[in-house]
Amino acid sequence: MEEAAAGDEGLEFKWGKKRGVGGKKKDVQFYESFTFDGDEYSLYDSVLVGDANEPDSHQLFVAKIIKIWEHTNKRAKNPRQVKLLWFFRPSEISPHLLEGVSDVVAKELFLASGEGPGLANVNPLEAICGKCSVLCISKDKRNPQPTDEEIKSADFVFRRAFDVGSSKVLDTIDDKIAGVDVTLLFNRAGSKQEATAVQKIQEDINGNLDSLKPNGLLACGSVRETEDNSIESSDLRESSYGREERKEKSKSQLAEERSNKDSSVQKNTAHRKEHDACEASGSRGNHCDGKKAQENEVAKQSTKQKSLPAEARYSNTCEASGSRVNHSDSEKPQANDVRNPFTKQKSMPTGERYSKESNGLDDRPQKKQKLDGSVTVPNGRNTSILQNIGSDGKRDTDSFKRPRDISSDGRRDTDSFKRPRDKETRDEVSPEKPTLVKKKRDLGVSVSEGKDAKTATEKGLAKKPSFDGKLLKRAEDETLADDYERGYQVIEVKQKPDAPWEESMREAEKEERLILLQNLDPTYTSDEVQDIVYSALHEQSTARMIERTSVTISHTGEALVIFNSRQAAERAIKRLDKGCLLLSSGRPLVASFAKINPPGMPSPFCGHIKLQKTQMRRETRDTVSTSHGSQQNTLEYEMAMAWCLHGARSDHAFQTVIKRQLEVKKSLRINFKPKLP
Amino acid sequence: MTNREEEEAQYESFLSKVRRTVYVDELTPLASKSVVESAFSQFGTVKEVIFLPNYLGPKELPACVLVEMESEQKAKAVIETVSQFPFMVAGMPRPVRASAARPNMFSDRPKKPGRVIQFRWMDPSDPEFDKAQRVKRIVKKHSAEAAFMIRKQLEEAEELAKQQAETVTTHHKKFDLIDKLTVEGVAQKLAGRYNMKCGPSHR
Repeated sequence: MEEAAAGDEGLEFKWGKKRGVGGKKKDVQFYESFTFDGDEYSLYDSVLVGDANEPDSHQLFVAKIIKIWEHTNKRAKNPRQVKLLWFFRPSEISPHLLEGVSDVVAKELFLASGEGPGLANVNPLEAICGKCSVLCISKDKRNPQPTDEEIKSADFVFRRAFDVGSSKVLDTIDDKIAGVDVTLLFNRAGSKQEATAVQKIQEDINGNLDSLKPNGLLACGSVRETEDNSIESSDLRESSYGREERKEKSKSQLAEERSNKDSSVQKNTAHRKEHDACEASGSRGNHCDGKKAQENEVAKQSTKQKSLPAEARYSNTCEASGSRVNHSDSEKPQANDVRNPFTKQKSMPTGERYSKESNGLDDRPQKKQKLDGSVTVPNGRNTSILQNIGSDGKRDTDSFKRPRDISSDGRRDTDSFKRPRDKETRDEVSPEKPTLVKKKRDLGVSVSEGKDAKTATEKGLAKKPSFDGKLLKRAEDETLADDYERGYQVIEVKQKPDAPWEESMREAEKEERLILLQNLDPTYTSDEVQDIVYSALHEQSTARMIERTSVTISHTGEALVIFNSRQAAERAIKRLDKGCLLLSSGRPLVASFAKINPPGMPSPFCGHIKLQKTQMRRETRDTVSTSHGSQQNTLEYEMAMAWCLHGARSDHAFQTVIKRQLEVKKSLRINFKPKLP
Repeated sequence: MTNREEEEAQYESFLSKVRRTVYVDELTPLASKSVVESAFSQFGTVKEVIFLPNYLGPKELPACVLVEMESEQKAKAVIETVSQFPFMVAGMPRPVRASAARPNMFSDRPKKPGRVIQFRWMDPSDPEFDKAQRVKRIVKKHSAEAAFMIRKQLEEAEELAKQQAETVTTHHKKFDLIDKLTVEGVAQKLAGRYNMKCGPSHR
């Protein structure tokens, strides 16, 4: 669905979940994940990046993906781009900056922070060479602590930041780096519980079915592509699942085993896309089913569950992850609104419901801890709610496959938990709100109330999360778009250029701070004019002498001066107008607001004859396009002579005027040395 | 005073650059840098082409450009040739004009070494204060005069261009007619009718 196959390149490439559009013309599509050369990358994944300047060097840079987008405008050179937040290897930081930085452990990296070049930049997506795992071992409270095993297996670790602005190694990590909330850069939230859960699960899996893993990995990839936004909830579910699992290991193991088998079979046989479709339609069907059948079924289900505790509990957990699929499915239409209006209408609310329910699930363990003795009852209730979510009465039969399949996916998600986790933390925000309410509900509901509670919470909460989510999204996109417009190119710090005069002059004219100074000595330079303005008027300015050409009066120097503000310019004009600034050559300075020619196409030049095509003979055509001297016996020569005459006459006239002007000026010569009265 | 020496050396090198440079005007504003470059590379290597911006004059003014040649001799040769023979760049029949460049044609010229500029605010009670105010008015008047002159010259140029366009069209018509006569054999026919011999082609 979302996977727009970009099969124009050799390497396999697929987009994942869309995030939103941005850019000036809405021509930038942001994504949360993509598959490239067989690996799936999501936001906040750590990657290895090759050095574009030294493709041969084996030293790869380590970075975190903090933005992914594509120019829909096909003319863009590198349409697919990622914004990377860098990690520094100790070897990349000059040794003297590392002085006093104690105990740099093996594999340690420094997270770029602060502001300045080297923090983050935009790279073509193709620059990514591969994935790697970077764990944060900071004792920071915000950072979910990794386990020792995780640290051992990680490619790199980091606990400190390197401020690119001040070139210092910092022990603390800022709240925001490159506009990214730092929690997204730490280990993925919930990893502690998750990690243990994962380990447990892994043990289970390993103990039961070693052969499952590879298959599972494959499938999890496929699912993740479709799901994305929902991962957050799935992760929550996962963790709860994991916890539950621990408690009920003995029971669920059986079921799990079965499910694993199931899923592995399905994975081997079913094609990825079919698979997706299957799931999608399955869940959709279930929704419809559920909507109709829900009410009568609740009771049934709950009783069923009571009678089949183990099974129920298992399906409960299954359903939890199963609902994720539904959820993801329902998320999809949200993303591409057009797709399937029917499903959208139906599945959207359910999607929300799911995310809520998943939060409910999250609460469950706590509650369970309280009510541990009466496990079956709350469990039954929970399942009933969950059943409503899944809302398939046939749960025990055909739909069984699906959730199980996914539950195993869920586990595999946690296997490679790095990827989804980031999303979880980010998106967690929106579903979090309902949790409180939901908790209350959960606690207050009895089995018979299950249905009511469900609908109530659904109604009460249906709007909020999605709304919040959208708001969040939009806000994020806006900043993204902004960032994008600014561009993240690596820019070398150069000497400040002598500001492009043309531009600053036009701007100054618009703001009325451009002044034309006249009656300067024509030999003055621009710098000298600036100095004069500074010492006489005490204003900072930028000046430019006007070149003396054949069409300017040669005896007076003119300069355009840009003042810093309109007030300054006005002040200067007033002072020079009312008062009188006499320069050493005996010239009083004259100032006025300058009016410069508007920029634009040069006007056509009179004196060059444009012959029509039919009139143009071969020779003339040649001569127009090149430059040449004219032969004497031609019409062209005759006309050229007329122009020479015109030029000579103009020059003469100009000279005469200038001569007369000079005489006038001479008669008014002012002594620089003041005549003291 | 090494600073002073440096300044002097800088100024000297600037002056030699000025001597190498040809000031070219009456150039069409449509001419691009490469056009100018190729036009003057007929005389020698062109080192640099600087277009002088026209910020204050009327828009229709011909463009002015500074062409730096490889040596002073070359620059002189260019000036000589261009003033002797009408030299047309990117259009005809209006030729460009060339003359030696002057230092104040460069906006980025270095300052004259060792020059000290002084100024003083004139006391309004200064006996020459009124005179100075008059000078200021005159300066404005002079620039207005110059602007007027330029306007006038442009009008004249326009007039001349119009005339010439007419001349060209007339000439073209004339040539066209002659062409037709010879190509279509009208002249021969007439000659045959009047029993006369006609031109180079014999029946």
